[in-house]
Amino acid sequence: MMIPDWPILSLIVFSPLAGAAVLLAMPKQRARLLRITAIIATLLPLALTLWLYADFDANRVGDSFEEYAAWVNIPLDQAGLGGGAASYGLHLDYRLGIDGLSLPLVLLATVITAMAALASVTIRKRWKAYYIWLLVLECGMLGVFLARDLFLFFIFFEITLIPMLFLIGIWGLFNREKAATRFLIYNGLGSAVMLIVFAIVVMTAGFSIGDTQGGGAVFSYSGSYETILANLSDPQAVVNQVAAGNVNPFYLSNGMETALFVLLLIAFGIKLPIFPFHSWMLSVHREAPAPVVMIHSGILLKMGAYGLIRFGFFLFPEQAERFAPTLAVLGLINLLYGAVIAYRQQELRSMLAYSSLSHMGIVLLGLASLHVIGMQGAVFQLVSHGLISALLFLLIGSFYERTGTSRIDELGGLAKAAPFMAGALLAGGLASLGLPGLSGFVGELLALLGLFDTHKVIVSIALLGIILTAAYVLRAIMGITFGELPAKYGSMKDARFIEALPIVVLLAFVLLLGIYPSFLTELMKHGFDPLLHHINMRVGG
Amino acid sequence: MAYSQAAWLIPVFPLAAFLVLTALGRSFRRSAPIIASIGTLGSLALSVLVMVEGVEYRDRINWIKIGDLSLSIGFDVNHLTSLMLVIVSIVSFLVCMYSAGYMRDDERLTVFYGYVSLFVFAMMGLVLADNMLMLYLFWELVGVCSFLLVGFWYHKPEAKAAAKKAFIVTRIGDAGLLLAVLLLFWYMPNHALDFVGIQNVFQGQSGAVDAQITTLIALLVFMGAIGKSGQFPLHVWLPDAMEGPTPISALIHAATMVAAGVFLIARTFVLFEASAVAMDTVAYIGAFTALFAASIALVQHDVKRILAYSTISQLGYMMMALGVGSLTGAIFHLMTHAFFKALLFLGAGSIIHATKTQDIRELGGLGGRMRLTALLFGVGALALSGIPPFAGFWSKDTILAAALDSNPALFAAGLLGALLTALYMARLFFRVFAGKPSAISEAAHESPAVMTIPMLALAVLALGAGFVETPWYDGLSQWLLGDEAPAHAADGYTVPIIGAAVALLGLYIGWLAYVKRTIRLSAALDAMPSARRLLENGYGLDALYTHLIVKPYRLLGSCVQLFDRYVVDGLVQLAAFGVSALGRGTARLQNGQVQTYGLAAVIGLLVLIVVLAGRRLWS
Amino acid sequence: MLGSYLTIAAILFCIGLYGALAKRNAIIVLLSIELMLNAVNLNLVAFSKYGVVPSLSGQMFALFTIAVAAAEAAVGVAVLVALFRARGTIKTDEIDELRG
Repeated sequence: MMIPDWPILSLIVFSPLAGAAVLLAMPKQRARLLRITAIIATLLPLALTLWLYADFDANRVGDSFEEYAAWVNIPLDQAGLGGGAASYGLHLDYRLGIDGLSLPLVLLATVITAMAALASVTIRKRWKAYYIWLLVLECGMLGVFLARDLFLFFIFFEITLIPMLFLIGIWGLFNREKAATRFLIYNGLGSAVMLIVFAIVVMTAGFSIGDTQGGGAVFSYSGSYETILANLSDPQAVVNQVAAGNVNPFYLSNGMETALFVLLLIAFGIKLPIFPFHSWMLSVHREAPAPVVMIHSGILLKMGAYGLIRFGFFLFPEQAERFAPTLAVLGLINLLYGAVIAYRQQELRSMLAYSSLSHMGIVLLGLASLHVIGMQGAVFQLVSHGLISALLFLLIGSFYERTGTSRIDELGGLAKAAPFMAGALLAGGLASLGLPGLSGFVGELLALLGLFDTHKVIVSIALLGIILTAAYVLRAIMGITFGELPAKYGSMKDARFIEALPIVVLLAFVLLLGIYPSFLTELMKHGFDPLLHHINMRVGG
Repeated sequence: MAYSQAAWLIPVFPLAAFLVLTALGRSFRRSAPIIASIGTLGSLALSVLVMVEGVEYRDRINWIKIGDLSLSIGFDVNHLTSLMLVIVSIVSFLVCMYSAGYMRDDERLTVFYGYVSLFVFAMMGLVLADNMLMLYLFWELVGVCSFLLVGFWYHKPEAKAAAKKAFIVTRIGDAGLLLAVLLLFWYMPNHALDFVGIQNVFQGQSGAVDAQITTLIALLVFMGAIGKSGQFPLHVWLPDAMEGPTPISALIHAATMVAAGVFLIARTFVLFEASAVAMDTVAYIGAFTALFAASIALVQHDVKRILAYSTISQLGYMMMALGVGSLTGAIFHLMTHAFFKALLFLGAGSIIHATKTQDIRELGGLGGRMRLTALLFGVGALALSGIPPFAGFWSKDTILAAALDSNPALFAAGLLGALLTALYMARLFFRVFAGKPSAISEAAHESPAVMTIPMLALAVLALGAGFVETPWYDGLSQWLLGDEAPAHAADGYTVPIIGAAVALLGLYIGWLAYVKRTIRLSAALDAMPSARRLLENGYGLDALYTHLIVKPYRLLGSCVQLFDRYVVDGLVQLAAFGVSALGRGTARLQNGQVQTYGLAAVIGLLVLIVVLAGRRLWS
Repeated sequence: MLGSYLTIAAILFCIGLYGALAKRNAIIVLLSIELMLNAVNLNLVAFSKYGVVPSLSGQMFALFTIAVAAAEAAVGVAVLVALFRARGTIKTDEIDELRG
């Protein structure tokens, strides 16, 4: 079905906000009404995204849908130019687009948020504020994946921070406020670094001389991703000219580009997270309520990887190539470091946090391959890990609600009391350790397959991670589902329908991606063209 | 339409059974065995049709396509795979039927049959896979089914530990296999992973793949087989896996999954043939495992553990056969072993069902109480011991003959193994069935027909399956290898006679020791308690691994965790402390006194004035 | 001539500023603020008479300021009376309502 001439991307991004506006007008005691409204508000972008998926043209290079509106336009003093300009200004535009890299993540974000909204039945207080923040958070996340202007991206990125702060700080567990502050400080730091990079990029690569209009040329700084990408890859562009004589203020030297790449690596590495920037994530995983951790682990961490690909790899492919071995080593460290520590955790949430760290290592390995298979594997791993960790946190949240603990040494034998949930937990665990037929395997396979061409030794060591992953996952999952059931949990109930629904949906997606990976890989066919084009040029020429 | 074109349906039947069983849930307990049996029966029927038809057929579809590269899935029907399909489906069907009696009182019967159906699906998929990657997919799936079924009685701590161990230990081998797949993908021309492509590339010694890489790939494939087929040093999971229900031990841990390693090597045999090092490794590890496991089986007290070590030993035989180049011998022994070992396990299950114990010290004189079981178990034991004319004799003979051809040392090892095999089987059989009935045996009754009929069927196969390949008839090698089948040695009767004599000698010693009690074998061992303990603990490998790998790994984990908490997080805490100290300092300024604020504003103004004026003055 | 006016105004302003920042009695703070305003008035009038472009608008502004200052003083004293009723004190260091 063709999509009519609607601003579909804007609809996707802002439909949660519309839901939030409706919620604002509702009385705050009507929990049921609020819940249903919020769930509908999250289903809206999901439906729109599925529609978009159906109509998405994977064969097209570049963005498939684009939306543009002039937003901020600051005229600058022409005196500095020495005249001759028709106009001279800074343009920050409202610019959305979607391509093979964004769509899988948008799909992931909408699915997981909808499931998190369903799973929010466990929230026991201040429903109205909770759901409003949840919807604002979704708006921010979707905006991040769709924005095609650097400052718009930055703003959406920041929008995600504030709702998270409150969601952790108000509805979290015992140390919630500390965790929330930690989250904010760390991510604020990353954002600050990112803002510096963006400012430099806009002021150099964003500068372009446009067509003459009437009198003189149009000089402008632009935050447009497309313009910046085109300028950076065009050897004739102003940004790449080393002016003889007087200095070209727009020139980005190789050293400067490297510095920018490293700064981006740090900015997004905090979010991803890359060792040693991971410790903020642990407290969030431990303290936030289950639906919020679902979103956090399932989507927010993926924003780091997305940003790294979109801005680090695509804008600075040469640096990406130079840093590929470093990234591979960092990925290996993430993978093994997380796996080794996860094996020693008694607290399931911490175990899963370290497991996330470990799985993000595979993403880094895939990215470091700079090979189409590996890159697709990395994104596949992002989606797959998002689904799996959302599933596992959902289940652990449900168990926590019933038993009041999520410690491995205090639980056991839950398969007897809650066979459905225990079975789902086992399936999630098996997906997490990379069982074929479930989505985790495909991501791992593709990432390692891609990397193997260039870094055989690293992949061989990474395979050790597969064994270690099996060890810690089974230890944890079997620790709580197998064995004797403690007598005090004898009367425990299995999942209610409202809980079972998101579990089943997430499992279905995990299974779908595992059995039919083309569901995603077909989308990503041209997702990495900006980078691969560069590499092919170098190899070819 | 040719049946082989529909061969992809073979795994679909059990898959459908699995889906139906999962969807129905626990409420349909009674129909579970029927549904699962229908699924496996469908597979069996189609498998037999495909094999009888004997037409080769392969087809595939893209699974993942990335750029110009694609990973495909498909199925490949040839003589080897169709034979395997028949073996797997026969044993699966019989075990499904048997379990209806054995597991009758289990409340999770539906789940049990669901897992079994899933396993059969995965095993069929593994057999039919047309390329290495797909084989790896199903290879992992059978592993996880094995894990689920070993841990089926999840509330037992032993079952939990055994399931975990089975999964992780085999995963070590699997990592090797995955690495082999990665290597193949990048070194094969056109990134082909299918077996036909591998056959073509490596058969002609075309040099398309470097010889060292070939050896490496072959060894890594073998690593996968070591894990799955319980070869030394990764065999430790298999005896523990006996914590699973006994029909599962028969199906997965005797007849099918553990033989998948042998099948894998047979499937990629060209790789091994291209590398002498790989062949020798396979042969020596196989021979060593055969002897090593047989010696442990001699002193075990648990019926199922004896059989488990026997399985490891027999798998070692098959590996040895592959290592000396006898594909026929390996597959032949795989087939006969599948039948007689499944029979033995089902017999053991029948004993356990009747007596609720599996310790042979508590048993004895069961022969009078359970005549049919004793008779059928005896058939299995004779077949395993290699007594003519039972199936095991012929297959073992094929292996021994091949070993003699290539390496007398391996032949000697094979003979010694045969002697030990006969001895421990005699011990097991006589201790359980002969002598005076013990208290437990007195109360035992024969198992129901639903259990004895599958045993009967397997007994017939254990008796008759050997005649497909004899010194005077080479049906199986013709079937597997076609015109390339090696001609039989001129003097085809020396090896069988020696083999039979050795096996009979083993039985005779066992008879003397455990019935006549003229030889005191156990007394000899009792004189050396440390040696006995060593053997009973499987040469202490478990303890060795615990001390050498598990404990150091735990320690490493704790160390890294401390590092994470105090060094990595410590740095963060330090930074956070700095920020909050700064905050506390500046917060003191906000005391709510308007006058302080005013003073700050004035000072700020003064600073501004000084700076601006200063710039004017100095510039 | 202008210089001496400005000097007087500056001295007056500084006295007012000191009083506003340092005195503990709120009434005196209010008076000090009046002092500062008057310093400004003095400046305005002086510039309107002796400035580069003399004009009456400066004196107009001074009149405005006086009127506003009167209003401000009235409001300020009213606030202080209310504060005294509520808290029993008008010592500036005992009033820290602005503290977060």
